[in-house]
Amino acid sequence: MRFVKTIINTAKLYMAKQQNRPAYFVAGLVLVLLPLFVAPYLRDIITKILIYAIFATSLNLLCGYTGLFSLGHAAYFGVAGYTTGVLMAHYGVESFWIVAPAGVLMAALMAAAFGFVALRGVGTYFLLITLAFGQLIYSVALKWRTVTGGTNGLVNVGYPDLGLPWFTMNALSFYYFVSVILVISFFLLYRLVKSPFGVALQAIRENETRMQSLGYNTWLYKYIIFIVAGLFAGVAGTLFSYHSTILVPSQVGILASTLVMLMVIIGGKRVFWGPTIGAIVIIFVEHYSSLYVPTHWPLILGCFFVVTVMFLRGGISIYLIKLLKRVVSLCIR
Amino acid sequence: MESILPNLLNAITFGFILFLIASGLSVIYGFMGILNLAHGVFYILGAYFGLALNNYGVPFVLASLGAGIIVGIIAMIVERVFLSRLHKQLDEQVLITIGFVYIFTTLARLIWGSEAKLVAAPAIVSGFVNIGDIRYPLYRLVIIAAGLAIAVGLWLLTEKTRAGSIIRAGMDNKEMTMALGMNYGMVASIIFFMGAFVGGAAGFIGLPIIAVHPAIVFDILLLSLIVIVVGGVGRIEGVLLGSMVIGLIDSLGKAYFPDWSYFTIYLAMIIILLVKPRGLLPRSQ
Amino acid sequence: MHSLRVEGLSKHFGGVNALRNVSFSVETGEHLAVIGPNGAGKSTLFNVIGGHLPADNGRVLLFGQDITHIPPYKRSHLGIARSFQVAALFLELTVLDNIMLALHGNLRSRFDMYRPMASYKNINDKAHQLLDSMGLWIKRDELVEELSYGEQRRLEISIALSGEPKLLLLDEPSAGLTIAESEDIRNRINSLGSDITIMLVAHDMDLVFGFAKRIIVLHYGEIITEGTCDEIRHDLKVKEIYMGSEMGNTLC
Repeated sequence: MRFVKTIINTAKLYMAKQQNRPAYFVAGLVLVLLPLFVAPYLRDIITKILIYAIFATSLNLLCGYTGLFSLGHAAYFGVAGYTTGVLMAHYGVESFWIVAPAGVLMAALMAAAFGFVALRGVGTYFLLITLAFGQLIYSVALKWRTVTGGTNGLVNVGYPDLGLPWFTMNALSFYYFVSVILVISFFLLYRLVKSPFGVALQAIRENETRMQSLGYNTWLYKYIIFIVAGLFAGVAGTLFSYHSTILVPSQVGILASTLVMLMVIIGGKRVFWGPTIGAIVIIFVEHYSSLYVPTHWPLILGCFFVVTVMFLRGGISIYLIKLLKRVVSLCIR
Repeated sequence: MESILPNLLNAITFGFILFLIASGLSVIYGFMGILNLAHGVFYILGAYFGLALNNYGVPFVLASLGAGIIVGIIAMIVERVFLSRLHKQLDEQVLITIGFVYIFTTLARLIWGSEAKLVAAPAIVSGFVNIGDIRYPLYRLVIIAAGLAIAVGLWLLTEKTRAGSIIRAGMDNKEMTMALGMNYGMVASIIFFMGAFVGGAAGFIGLPIIAVHPAIVFDILLLSLIVIVVGGVGRIEGVLLGSMVIGLIDSLGKAYFPDWSYFTIYLAMIIILLVKPRGLLPRSQ
Repeated sequence: MHSLRVEGLSKHFGGVNALRNVSFSVETGEHLAVIGPNGAGKSTLFNVIGGHLPADNGRVLLFGQDITHIPPYKRSHLGIARSFQVAALFLELTVLDNIMLALHGNLRSRFDMYRPMASYKNINDKAHQLLDSMGLWIKRDELVEELSYGEQRRLEISIALSGEPKLLLLDEPSAGLTIAESEDIRNRINSLGSDITIMLVAHDMDLVFGFAKRIIVLHYGEIITEGTCDEIRHDLKVKEIYMGSEMGNTLC
């Protein structure tokens, strides 16, 4: 198990370097072969990690690339999850091809509406208003008991129904399903951050005034990426509603939003794979500490986080990349 | 119609407790530009330490002051060791306060457990008072009176004293204040201490009517944030206005529209951020 | 044909009048310098022309078109480019990324969310040209924050030039540079050709006199006087303002 974990980490670290086709191949191989080597419960945890990797990477589009720190990102995750869940549980709509796009669309629409308001200001203003929106959605999830089940939650049934008569999804195939969606999402997002649009976002983070004088409508860029981030959070949220048998309001509010923010920061906000590493670390820490020291895990997480912000500028991934480069250069000797 | 009076008084009581917490947050944010997301932590730590002191026989008022001091010292250590090292990186500073929420909340849970705890109001002010047709808890009236006194005191402090003018100057123009020879770092630490002190003391003062348990950390934080968003940052009057407005919406909401109060508060926050981004009574327009 | 015309610009901040009824025009291809002591309003003027600051009163006309209410990014599309006094570069990005972004600024491709920026061959070639002319091509993969100050200043000007602007606003291009570096910048600016209209704000009088056909002198937000180098050199009011410092001894 440790062995597998190391492989995953190494593979994903290699991917932090830019054109590393062999690394991608290895990572892909790991992803495909994983369930053969790993116990089912662990595989399901990894499924959860994959889902959160998408979620955290979507947040990083805002934080790391554009410099917009949103503390309400779980709202879009939750809106998508609840939409999918409600359509299935209350309206009996079963087809994945309807409920999933519906969920993602709701998340994107909400991001379009909220983003318009949130981007009226920057910095703390943005932080507060995204926080407020997140709590607004949380309050709806909490109080609209007839639809969301309130604190009792929305119970979900099973895995995506792809409408294929010869195929019913189970936990194993769901793992592969999520992997495929992850690969597609990361492909699109990686292209985005390397494109002129993506580089422009980083420049806007560095000096918005200069970008304006160069001809960029910076507000539009921020607005578009806010929607894209919300959309992909929605993708993660929809997948999550299938993965988790129950959907509760606490997955929508400030607790969830700070958790995903922690993943981004601990993993590293300046590297594309940073949030993924953050997701791996945090979910594994959560899992293992819930087995051995259940009451301590937020403490461990908090300390990790403080240490990262204080000393590991750029998160774990930058530090690990340096470490890896040193190891590689030592091996070459 | 007579039933509105106790709810109104409850709202004002809650408003004053919010005032105490939020004024700390407001001064820290106004002076240092740091949105201290760990502010709710000060509140619960104050409640817990106050309770511990009280259980050892320390009288109520002293326990609340003691709690405030302990929390203030902890806060000042955090500020000195961590926040000041992240000089000028506002994003990092705000983020790191999140980390401290996790750390201190878990520590509190480990030390004191996660059941809700209350304390009895001191004997001389427990009991009821007749107001019109109703019997109303005396302690709540005491909170209102004390809150008013503290509000006036804080206002005098910031508006009429030299220390206060230093604080106001720092809020309005940090560079000038430094240029005038003020040891910014030291004043910042003191501000942080004071903000935490008031928040911590509030935790214990409020304990007879608001039970404490680790999970309320974010609720307290969110309410304080809404208060300063609505009321405006940096002025005592603004914090007071904001806390009364939120106290009213929250208490009356819970009494008459329990399903909607939460939603209404956040909606109010968003509307204010849109229409008056610096709050209703900001330091400058 | 005036490339730039400014009519009755006023701007105040609180109690301070940064600009007071400023009016002038610039011919196409002209080299105009704006000088004045610190706080005279030179940067404010540039900020208003560039669109970053709205004027309280007055109009800005570019090639006859009223651009007073047009946002900065649109002004860039109309042909205004600007260099900044305090280096406004993208520090955590590479030199190449900086110039590529500048080159995409007025193109549709700036909204491309799919093709890697590195794959735009023709833009890459232009970037090569621009960086080469400033001697920065070899440093193209370095992060801007690692460049020396002089290199950053050269990059700053390359970026301003990248969009082939019609009107170039240079704000203190040689601030903080060594004598050699200043001369280098001076030469580069002077070799910029006559289709591009250039407005310069500078304290370096060698640069000003070597560059400008016409000089406008600002003081407390008002135009005190304008004229050729000779006229300004001998103007008593101007000497008074500068208290007879370097102004008297430089040549046109």
